[in-house]
Amino acid sequence: MKKYWRCFICNDIHYGVKPPEQCPTCMAINAYVEVSSEEAKKIINPTESKFDQEKFRRAIEEFAKKNEFQINPDREKVKMLLTGLFNNEQNQGLKYCPCRLITKDFTEDLKLVCPCNFIIHETYQGKKDGECWCGLFIKRR
Amino acid sequence: MKNLIMFWARECPHCKRMMPLVNRLEKEEGISFEKLEIWHNEENADLMRSYRDIIAPKCGGQLRTPTFLNTETKDVLCGEVKYEVLRDWASE
Repeated sequence: MKKYWRCFICNDIHYGVKPPEQCPTCMAINAYVEVSSEEAKKIINPTESKFDQEKFRRAIEEFAKKNEFQINPDREKVKMLLTGLFNNEQNQGLKYCPCRLITKDFTEDLKLVCPCNFIIHETYQGKKDGECWCGLFIKRR
Repeated sequence: MKNLIMFWARECPHCKRMMPLVNRLEKEEGISFEKLEIWHNEENADLMRSYRDIIAPKCGGQLRTPTFLNTETKDVLCGEVKYEVLRDWASE
């Protein structure tokens, strides 16, 4: 079960089954202590970070650079998908994939938040021209 | 008259690509689909969710768009396919 962890040096918050050995922000070793979700939320909340479509596009480009996939070069398709993601965030609370529907089981629906774990999907895994279901990410060619 | 539904989403590129094929099929074969948008219409979304047990096993375990459903036979076709595949599925 995932829990919240707080770095006692710099207040980094980590959400996972165990704490990182090294804090990625202040590099302290064995610095994480388990905290409640309420405490974690209070620490995170003051750091507001708004994302518009362009900022999100840059973020996923940076994310893709470090991996074996890239953003689809079809800009029109990407624009349509980003519009859908932001509409879904506005209407449903999270950037759910525009090409799949939420079940209303929150934990299950976290699998639909973009970027999703598409590398295990049959549309991507083991395919030369693999892509995520919606086509936002494609295997680098 | 067959009871065929196309679940689609406004910002889904696969749906955008399939829509002209569906329109062509309706025109050429006289088959009609009930086209239900699922991200901007909660009633349509609930209807798609009500078919989850039928749709998900044929769509990677999820509710994906576009999904074509024959509500009588419970036959499902999922995703972007060629015109001939859609035609043969709808004609069965």
